[in-house]
Amino acid sequence: MDAQLLISGVIFGLSIGGIFFLMAIGLSLCFGLMRIISLDQLLYYSVGGYITYSVSLAAGSVWLGVLAGCAVAGIVAFAVERLIFRRIYERELTYSMITSFGILIGGIGVIKSIWGVVPRPVPVPTMIQWNVIGTEVPVYRLIVFALAIVVYAGIWLFLNRTIIGKAIRAGIEDVEHVEGLGINVSRLFTLTFIIAGALSGLAGGLHAPLIMVDPQMGLEVLAFVFMVVIIGGLGSIKGTLISAFLVGQVVSLGSLIYAPLAQMAPFAIMLVILLIKPTGLYGSALLKR
Amino acid sequence: MLKAWRWWWGIVLAFSLLLVARVFLPLPFINEVVIFSIYTMGCSFLLGRVGFISFGQPAYLAVGAYATAFYLFYYGTNPYIGILLGVAAGGIVAVIVGPLFVRLRSDYFALVNLALAVIVFYLMQKVLAGITHGDNGLWFLTNIASTPVLDLGKPGHFFIFAWLVTLAVWAFYKYLDDSVYGACCLATKINEDKLKFLGYDNFRIRLLAFVIANTTTALAGSMYAVYLGFVSPEITSPARAADPVVVTILGGVGTLYGPIVGAFAYTGMKDVVSKLIGNWELIIGFLLVFIMLAGEKGIWGTLQPLFEKLLFRKKASATDDGAEVHR
Repeated sequence: MDAQLLISGVIFGLSIGGIFFLMAIGLSLCFGLMRIISLDQLLYYSVGGYITYSVSLAAGSVWLGVLAGCAVAGIVAFAVERLIFRRIYERELTYSMITSFGILIGGIGVIKSIWGVVPRPVPVPTMIQWNVIGTEVPVYRLIVFALAIVVYAGIWLFLNRTIIGKAIRAGIEDVEHVEGLGINVSRLFTLTFIIAGALSGLAGGLHAPLIMVDPQMGLEVLAFVFMVVIIGGLGSIKGTLISAFLVGQVVSLGSLIYAPLAQMAPFAIMLVILLIKPTGLYGSALLKR
Repeated sequence: MLKAWRWWWGIVLAFSLLLVARVFLPLPFINEVVIFSIYTMGCSFLLGRVGFISFGQPAYLAVGAYATAFYLFYYGTNPYIGILLGVAAGGIVAVIVGPLFVRLRSDYFALVNLALAVIVFYLMQKVLAGITHGDNGLWFLTNIASTPVLDLGKPGHFFIFAWLVTLAVWAFYKYLDDSVYGACCLATKINEDKLKFLGYDNFRIRLLAFVIANTTTALAGSMYAVYLGFVSPEITSPARAADPVVVTILGGVGTLYGPIVGAFAYTGMKDVVSKLIGNWELIIGFLLVFIMLAGEKGIWGTLQPLFEKLLFRKKASATDDGAEVHR
């Protein structure tokens, strides 16, 4: 394999890993704090993508579209949390999974009835190419990667330096104690859910120019996001970051070697890791309610 | 004699009703219901009895369907051998992936299983497109030879065959429910530590349950293949992963006749609604959310939390020596 192909493959892997990270972080945070598996994050991803499409068509700026997609996804997440998830926090984990799958499928139906089933193209915001060691690299992919890192840093600062973030971290350890300290846990849940939804929307918006937006886009990345979350360990943000970029690289470099490998290799890695450690790389075995 | 009758009467009643329904309802509909109820039975057993929520059922359905399809498309013509091969393939796959899956925590199990369904979808749609013909699917209706006694090529005969198979499956699951093994399954869901204390191996119980349930699902898959005469990756599509779970919950988690009732209600609703609205996904999604939320409020008696269901079961078996009656 020549160096140019390799470098562009690595860059591709970094950008796709960034997207996976932004999506998986929502699932991971929701599981950590609320002990729910929120499959509807994939819906907010689609919503982010579609809003980006519509706004960039209307206003002419993709960046504005991404911003709007992020915001709308957050709002949708807020509504869903208030209307539906509020009622199922108390129940078994599996109930949240079934319910969120229902929201995902129903949401896809809504998207189909609003935007139709035809895939829509979103323009790439910047066509500039940079020269990295003799290879022309699209800057947009680097921006996606950088944004993912910025989000990770932001989340880290938020969780470690602000009082609300510290409350969320404490909630991941033990929700009852946090409640006992007089912190409004229900508001904390809502906030976390909005953050998760908005980040998924951001992922959708950033991914939209790289692929075409279509109603099934959430289901297409579903398997990868799952693998990221499982490999990293549910509830761990560091694990999610590492496994997102691992899966990203495997998908991108795997497809250079043999195309079907892109889908199969992460799955094989996931099985191997589960065989060694059933809770994923950084997942805690103690996370049982 | 009386005891045997007590054991059988619930099943006999349910299946007589099914035969009667055959007279009033169109044949494709009733065939669909019967196959769907087998499909759901595996999921219902896993969810209600062992406490595993399985979004990966389409994967095993596809394994059964494709094993049958490969045989009928490339090698032979006898549908019975095709179905047997489908069931065998389902069992083998379940035995291979089972040991890895059943040691996972229930949340990981659900995620990994759904991931498996998606991977099988990719496998059938893209990776193995050379032999599965990708999205076009395999068409082999004309390859199915007519067999003596029950000709599976004819919908009328197929119904009788499907009815017999379903009866056998139900008798088998009823037997499981009443056996020591069935009790162990329930125990592993409620309190695995206590079961371990009693000297049972949780892992083996779960593995056996996993294999049984997924072989049943593969049976449904191979029956679909023979009935429709064609198989495409559509049957394992991620968008349909929730189908068996919806039907399980609709019919009542862990109850013996839940899958039949659920399959009836679901297929019926699907037929009616899809005539009115083209966008079936929307309805299925919101139906699912509604069922989950309504279940909490106790609007549907069958949607109570699982442990209540078990209490009810215990009471019924104490008073009635059977517990057949809770449909």
